[in-house]
Amino acid sequence: MPLRSTSSAYLRHAGDLVGNPGQQAAYDSRGHCVVLAGPGSGKTKTLVLKLARILAEDVRAPRGVACITYSQECARELTRRLEALGLRDAPNLFVGTVHGFCLRHILMPYARLAGLAVPYPLSLATTRQTDSAFKQVAERLLGAGQPYKAHDMGKYRRVHLDRDGPDWESDPDLARITEGYEAALRRGGLIDFDDLVIFGNRLVSDHDWVLPAIQARWPVLAVDEYQDLGVPLHRIVERLAFEGGVRLFAVGDADQSVYGFAGADGALLLELAQRDDVEAVQLQLNYRSAGRIIRASELALGEARGYQPHDPRRQAVIEFTERPGGLEDQAAYVVESLIPAALAAKPGRALGDIAILYRAASVGDVFADSLTAAGYDYIRVDNAAPYKKVGLTSWIEDCAAWCAGGWRTGRPQLAGLISRWIGFRSGRPSELESRRMARALTSFLSGHRADEGAAAPFVSAIRRTLVDPLTASDRSLADQREQVRRMSEALAEGGKLEGLDLKSLGGRDGSPTHINLLTLHSAKGCEYDVVIMVGMDMGAMPWRRETEDELRESRRLFYVGLTRARDAVHMLYSGWIPGRYGAQRLGRSPFVEELEERLAAAEE
Amino acid sequence: MRISKIKIDNFANFSEFEIETGDNLVVVGENKVGKSNLIFALQLILDPGLSERDRQLGLEHFWDGLGDNKLGAVIEIVIELTDFEGDPRLLAHLGDCIVDPGPPMVSRLTYRFQPKADLEGGPQSMADYEYILFGGLDPDNAMRPGLRRMLPIDVLAALRDAEKDLATWRHSPLRPLIEGLTAGLGEDDRDAIQEAVDTAQNTLAERDEVRTVAQIISDRLQKMVGPAHATPISLGIAPTRIDALLRALRLLIDGGARGIADASLGTANLIFLALKSLELDRLVGEGERDHTFLAVEEPEAHLHPHVQRLVYRHFLAEPEDAADEEEDGNEDPVPATRLTTILTTHSPHIASIAPLRSLVLLRRDGAGAGDRTVGFSTAKTPLTDSDEADLQRYIDVTRGELFFARGVILVEGDAERFLVPAFAEALDIPLDQRGISVCSVGGTNFAPYVKLLGPAGLSIPYVVLTDRDPVEAGSPLARGRVQKLLEIVEPGPVYDDLADAAIFRRGERHGIFVNSRTLEPELLGSGLARRMGQILKSELPLRRAGREAIDGWVADPATVDVDRLLGLIERVGKGRFAQRLAAGATERRCPAYIRTALERIRDAVA
Repeated sequence: MPLRSTSSAYLRHAGDLVGNPGQQAAYDSRGHCVVLAGPGSGKTKTLVLKLARILAEDVRAPRGVACITYSQECARELTRRLEALGLRDAPNLFVGTVHGFCLRHILMPYARLAGLAVPYPLSLATTRQTDSAFKQVAERLLGAGQPYKAHDMGKYRRVHLDRDGPDWESDPDLARITEGYEAALRRGGLIDFDDLVIFGNRLVSDHDWVLPAIQARWPVLAVDEYQDLGVPLHRIVERLAFEGGVRLFAVGDADQSVYGFAGADGALLLELAQRDDVEAVQLQLNYRSAGRIIRASELALGEARGYQPHDPRRQAVIEFTERPGGLEDQAAYVVESLIPAALAAKPGRALGDIAILYRAASVGDVFADSLTAAGYDYIRVDNAAPYKKVGLTSWIEDCAAWCAGGWRTGRPQLAGLISRWIGFRSGRPSELESRRMARALTSFLSGHRADEGAAAPFVSAIRRTLVDPLTASDRSLADQREQVRRMSEALAEGGKLEGLDLKSLGGRDGSPTHINLLTLHSAKGCEYDVVIMVGMDMGAMPWRRETEDELRESRRLFYVGLTRARDAVHMLYSGWIPGRYGAQRLGRSPFVEELEERLAAAEE
Repeated sequence: MRISKIKIDNFANFSEFEIETGDNLVVVGENKVGKSNLIFALQLILDPGLSERDRQLGLEHFWDGLGDNKLGAVIEIVIELTDFEGDPRLLAHLGDCIVDPGPPMVSRLTYRFQPKADLEGGPQSMADYEYILFGGLDPDNAMRPGLRRMLPIDVLAALRDAEKDLATWRHSPLRPLIEGLTAGLGEDDRDAIQEAVDTAQNTLAERDEVRTVAQIISDRLQKMVGPAHATPISLGIAPTRIDALLRALRLLIDGGARGIADASLGTANLIFLALKSLELDRLVGEGERDHTFLAVEEPEAHLHPHVQRLVYRHFLAEPEDAADEEEDGNEDPVPATRLTTILTTHSPHIASIAPLRSLVLLRRDGAGAGDRTVGFSTAKTPLTDSDEADLQRYIDVTRGELFFARGVILVEGDAERFLVPAFAEALDIPLDQRGISVCSVGGTNFAPYVKLLGPAGLSIPYVVLTDRDPVEAGSPLARGRVQKLLEIVEPGPVYDDLADAAIFRRGERHGIFVNSRTLEPELLGSGLARRMGQILKSELPLRRAGREAIDGWVADPATVDVDRLLGLIERVGKGRFAQRLAAGATERRCPAYIRTALERIRDAVA
């Protein structure tokens, strides 16, 4: 039989969906389908099984399925789940970010033919280049001390797509800055990340002939976390699905939309769901949280969603604790009481089942220091983390996981590591080149298999042998290269991750010996037995002087944190926040206040 | 889908070679002109069976015209494909190789053999070379291996051993058909067959004669070693499982009388081609392929001419019933054309049945060091629909020769076809030796042929010989005829205002030659009068008055009654008359316009 990127393993799991009408309907859908998936409703499982089914039953290579997610990490998680179903990265299965899709499958093949005004070859600006271009242009136009930040411009660009419309001038300053900034990048022969999606949208909007070409290659488009993806992608999706004949399978939860500040809009998902030509499916059953936590989360959100617990008998702890001594006091309480109690409460529970969630990375610093002082290991995911999760750093982590014993069980799969490695090369490498790269990686990895050992020498070796030669020759990897450098730095003597072993480097999940330290944003998609939300004070949650929209988003963020928990939620606050002139006593977070009251009322 | 363009540079016989092509390709040309190399060039891009080593070329593959500059040169082969956007599967294969969004869309695939990219200084040997295969304009856009697997080229080589291929089960194109049959047989049917076979076997084994023999053997065994060591013996047929039986099915010919090994070479080849055709249908039908490029080299090798014509009409035919087939899923509409046939041939039989637009003519250009093969194709020749229909109808085996000619003399009818070679012989311009064909257009409609042979077509030098055909009043008929041809070969000037003589003079400059009346009276005046008279008198039962009239014309050709003369010749038959007259052709008797034309075409092909 011809080679197919299919596996029948999905059939064994498909039986699990029986009894969950929402999941079953999504799995059986034939046309456009939007899955509105509450927290813990098994949305990823549904998505992954549906992808496997489509690959097995509905499309045949070279036609395939493109699955777009909002971050590298989500893509990595999906890839992992697909691998478990025997499906791996294949020419007719794309799993990646919207940026990656626009670059690889819209701009690279068609931009030049369409005469799009982008520089060739397509070359991505590094963060340093974009920052300096923004600064120069903004200060030239508005003088030093001008009020705008780069992310203001970013949002403006993402939200105002129609440059010829009156809307574009709604903020003339940002419009001018954007135009100057883009011109500066072009002069340097560069495009940035937002350009990928903006140009992608322009290409599919203006050139009809591109639609059948994309539809031929990708007759099915799946989108995960739709609520986080913003207007440009929404436009691309609408054009491809409703004018180009591409079948859409979108998954998301508007209640978990927390990237409005970056231009995302949960309403877009609901808009899709209301179309007549779209089958909208609700996933109502929550497999994650105990019933009490589900009820609490709906109270926090202020909306009745009717979510049901999978197991109604499960008990939950929800505690509100004031620690008047500020964040340090909260940290002390966590280290001295909460962690030992949580570990003792359930046999087999490990540090990895506990998460400390906060809004700002600076809060994370306080807890990181306390944990270190108390001798706890932790994994930290936020902007202050020693290095960012980008394609290359994630890949190095997964390589470490493979070497540290993952090779025995095929988790992660070597073939997946190889195809990701080859994917870092710009352009599509020839068979010869691919084979050369695969050989080099395989020999490196099998030579570095070790159950025990430190991460630092491994990272130095993989950089020396593979990563550095590649990044040195490819400008577009400059940003990722910087993160790899930081990774090395953190592992080196005196670095924040000094002494980390290979196994611990190997992954964000699957490390039961490490407490999880994350921002609320980073916690999306994760779940833990015990969730400790810290710094829940007015002025931080929400910030002071938030607009109506911002307040709604903060509330959703609070909701996201709450819904991460399986068994227990702890809310910690001090009643004050540090200010420029000492403590500002604004009281605890109104969300916490509200929740405690409503919960008490409801449980009376 | 079809190939719309092929470009080859610095490879084998080819340097800056470029042709545009039609639905199929019928590649004609002399031996050693590079027909097989053209196929190999396509294989470098499309053949999934070619190994990496096969694609890593050697110095001998570079164009000889490069001389000492081979090392450092780049071999490039480009094919462009079009008419695929209606089929989503083909579009998915070729969508990211588009070079022209169209409509129609055009995608490009390129094979390039070049010095390695990271080389410092020039290449020192072939070891410093690498090949790349890419789609579209960007060399970094490497061709997906799946593309070759799903859109492959199959090559049936010139002198293959069809009988051997049929005999080995593994390679036999019969195998998938039998396997399909095996899979399709129901459980009950299998049981029924098995039972029938078992019964037949038992009937044989249980016959007294058979048992007796078995008993004799048993007895002798007992006698030799005694009952303790002897095993009981019976005669029977080893149980045959149905799958083994099915696999033992063989092709038989002549009503089952003989096996394929006893067939003639031609029959074996024919059967092989039929099976191949079925196999291609199956591969496409089962979704293992989305398109096939079938290249058959010199199919004339083993087939009788009339069979050649029939078989290749089948392969070159327009798809008719493709739309009737249904695929299992409803995802992919059935594509219109899933087979592109590429034939190389030097058989006029095959050339004559080739769809006119599919002809590709390879010809050597230049001599010595700069010698290379150039290609001409009819795909873009500006023929009107009626031109095309006309040519397709009239090009038979004889006229098919013109595709292989180095020069062509276009004449009106059979009379010229017999006489012109005779005069050529007399003038010491042996046409066959020089590769010049005389082609009768059967009338005066030269235009399609002139377009076909002209620079926008096959670029074969030609001359036209036509009669003046004077009429009572006004310009001779030839005037309009020549003017029409001038408008094709030299468009632009307004010819309407020119005098007849000026038109004819211009015509001669372009190789269009007109006599002073019609052929036969012309010959009468050129010293063949006596012979013509003899032929008429011997062929026809003439009355005295008739004979006397002929004698009069012979004595003084100026007195001839043209209509009556032509009437008499037609009673003999123009061809037969010309054939007999040809024996009398001499240099002195050759009419001036024929001589000029012959000398012109002689010089053109020299």
